[in-house]
Amino acid sequence: MTTPAIDTTALTRRFDDFTAVDNVNLCVDAGQFFGFLGPNGAGKSTTIKMLTGLLAPTSGSIRILGEDLEANSAEIKRQIGVVPEGMALFGRLTAEEYLQFVGRMYGLDRTTTLNRTRELLDFMQLANEQKKLITDFSHGMQKKLALAAAVIHGPKVLFLDEPFEGVDAVAAGTLKSMLLRMIARGATIFLTSHVLEIVERLCTHIAIIHRGQLVAQGSLDELRAGAWRAGKAGSQEAVATPGAEKRSLEQIFLEIVGTDREGNPAATSPEQELSWLS
Amino acid sequence: MAELTGSESVLQSLPPIPASAQLLAVAWLRWRIFVNGMFRKRPKRKGQVVGLVFGILLRIIVWPMLAMIVIGPVAGSGFLAWMAISEGHPRSLAPLLLGITLLWQFVSINGLSIAVSMQSFDPASLVRFPLRFGRYFVLRSLLGLLTPSTIVGCLALLAVAVGIGIADPSLAPPALAVMAVYALMNIYLTRMIGAWMERWLANRRFREIFSMLMAMFAVSFQFLNLRLNSTHAPGVRTSWLINILHSSGSYLNWLPSGFAAQAILLVKHPLAAFAQFAALLACTALFAAVFSIRLQKQFLGEYLGEGVNRRAKAQPAPRTKVTVPQPAALPAPEAPRSILSPTVAACLRKEWLILRSNGAQMIGLLTPLFFVVIFSMNRAFSAISSKYFLPAAMAYVLIGPLGTLYNVFGADGRGVQVYLLAPIRMRDVVVAKNLMSLTLIVTEAALAWTIICVLARAPIPIATQIATAFWAVFVVAMNLAIGTVRSIQAPRYFVPGQTRQIRAAAPANRTSALLVLAVLFGSMLLQIPVAIASSYFHVPWLAAWVFGPLAVAAVFGYALTLGNAERLILAHRDVFAEELCKA
Repeated sequence: MTTPAIDTTALTRRFDDFTAVDNVNLCVDAGQFFGFLGPNGAGKSTTIKMLTGLLAPTSGSIRILGEDLEANSAEIKRQIGVVPEGMALFGRLTAEEYLQFVGRMYGLDRTTTLNRTRELLDFMQLANEQKKLITDFSHGMQKKLALAAAVIHGPKVLFLDEPFEGVDAVAAGTLKSMLLRMIARGATIFLTSHVLEIVERLCTHIAIIHRGQLVAQGSLDELRAGAWRAGKAGSQEAVATPGAEKRSLEQIFLEIVGTDREGNPAATSPEQELSWLS
Repeated sequence: MAELTGSESVLQSLPPIPASAQLLAVAWLRWRIFVNGMFRKRPKRKGQVVGLVFGILLRIIVWPMLAMIVIGPVAGSGFLAWMAISEGHPRSLAPLLLGITLLWQFVSINGLSIAVSMQSFDPASLVRFPLRFGRYFVLRSLLGLLTPSTIVGCLALLAVAVGIGIADPSLAPPALAVMAVYALMNIYLTRMIGAWMERWLANRRFREIFSMLMAMFAVSFQFLNLRLNSTHAPGVRTSWLINILHSSGSYLNWLPSGFAAQAILLVKHPLAAFAQFAALLACTALFAAVFSIRLQKQFLGEYLGEGVNRRAKAQPAPRTKVTVPQPAALPAPEAPRSILSPTVAACLRKEWLILRSNGAQMIGLLTPLFFVVIFSMNRAFSAISSKYFLPAAMAYVLIGPLGTLYNVFGADGRGVQVYLLAPIRMRDVVVAKNLMSLTLIVTEAALAWTIICVLARAPIPIATQIATAFWAVFVVAMNLAIGTVRSIQAPRYFVPGQTRQIRAAAPANRTSALLVLAVLFGSMLLQIPVAIASSYFHVPWLAAWVFGPLAVAAVFGYALTLGNAERLILAHRDVFAEELCKA
């Protein structure tokens, strides 16, 4: 049995009396392209922050590449790459300076850092922007730079929080092919995105979080087959649905988050109408 | 498209990262941020030459002032230390060191907001890199050593060691060693206070309490001054201070400053001196340990921020279709019940809601009134003729609120896009913002006026009152007019009630800042020549005759600006939106 790349047990995060992430048990095998979905405010970014060591869980445990995150945070951080929600770039550096800094912080030697920096800038089509400060970059350019910084040290696990947001179609295509090549070479990618078409095309496995609770987890085919009603003990109740194989991820997603834990309709649904827009 | 190489090696086990590599990388990062901030060329803007000239003038004025701020405490500390040893008052050394520490910490705490606004990267962001806690602790200890308070504090302690060494050369080596440790203790004390304050100030309620405490501290200081001035002659006051220092000597011996002083003075009793030195080292270690506890929590991913308050859970709405009223059934729009247009009323309400939730701004508005009360009761101020005190106090009260008129859109940030996109006249938005500012200014001025009239020991001449009223109208209207123009031409994003300010396009705003200062202080100080002329020519109504027409002209100028606000925003919408949307 192989060690999962990401494994959480009863992961919980509370802010005062609000539970942002509630008892989440995630298991992502090495080499998976894993999509982590959920509506706004569901707890996706909080989960990613906890998985990357930026936010301490209130309770529960996190194991990355088989190691406990809290006990081995420095070693694990060397093996992961992150594109966080806010990108966390140093605005007063140029792209080249930033990548060099990140490379040095991850222990790359000077020559490797310089070579990879040059390659990444070229790859991300940022080579012509060398004189510009990051603060003057567009949102899409900053996103590409954040991605470059996340992969410069060749991570085994990559956490991407909305990586395609604001990125042009050409660059998005380039990034997708890069991510797929990383998967082919054994890396694990944990991706959150609201663009369900991208997730459907790239990810082999998907989990859906809603109001802090994990409401579905499995391969796309399993989700299509209706095997998303995860019980509290983790058991799954497969419900065969006619024509399931034709359902898109968007339909599955809406079906899952469109109901609450008890199966009642959610607060807002596509069937609702605004009185003045009809 | 280029191919990425080297991916195979990532799965192999990696050698440990040398500490020097990471520490040097962070040092290089700070250096590049500094160099880029200093020398990076920005796109040319209009008025760059004017900005450059103003910049040079600003440096000519500011740098000598900064030099005085550094030289003053350093020379003073060295001289006092020399005097304490050479004139046989060694017990004065502990109070001197305590004074340096208090000043150091006070400046650090007050400078925290400035430092945060000036720094272009947050050291806490280094947590995401593969650092061990030890390295993170070293980095956090080293980063920020070049703050003004640390530089001046360290230089002052060096001056103390030099002063002691000159007075008694045999004390020079222990003085240098002890002062080095004392400086380290102060650095860790600053770090400890800073780290804990960062934790507390992340909460809005604490920020408001902190603002109130700082305001109360300033007010209490003035009350103390008032008590001393009103009860003692200057000579008595000095002896009172010396008595306090002398009587506190035994207590100071139990504080780090006492340990440091004793470690130097007891050099002829090595064991006692070593015990004192060890106590000083223990204090340093204690502060470093408390600082480290806070850092450890941050390192492990502590959440610094407002608690997420989502107690009111959304109730599932019934899945019934909402009844759609037909257009014919729509009620006729109500006739406006307010004298204000709907846009002005809506914007005013929004401004009020923001102000109501901003305790720090409220405290900022109330504090000058407390000072007016104190100044009115102070003998030194009561000696000033009542005809000068009223305009002076009004200038003091108005200077703060008038400063806010120069960036009325700053708190809106990206929200200005709503104004730009909505089918409204921007003039109405400006009117609403100015109305809110004007309400606050008038309220504050009226309260200050009442306080002065009640507490004044002699009646204030009617000519002075009318002249002051005209002057106030002139100053407010002129600042409203110029403030409106600058708010559109050089806006700057800020978060109300938060110390952390967003630094956007500083070079563009340098001219604006200087212009604001010139107009603000120029209009305030205009009173002085008029008052002198009035007194010289014995024409009590001269000021009223001067400021009356000026007030009318300023109001007219403001009306003109308001009329052009729409056109002005259209002309500057790129800068206007760009600067605020950078937030």
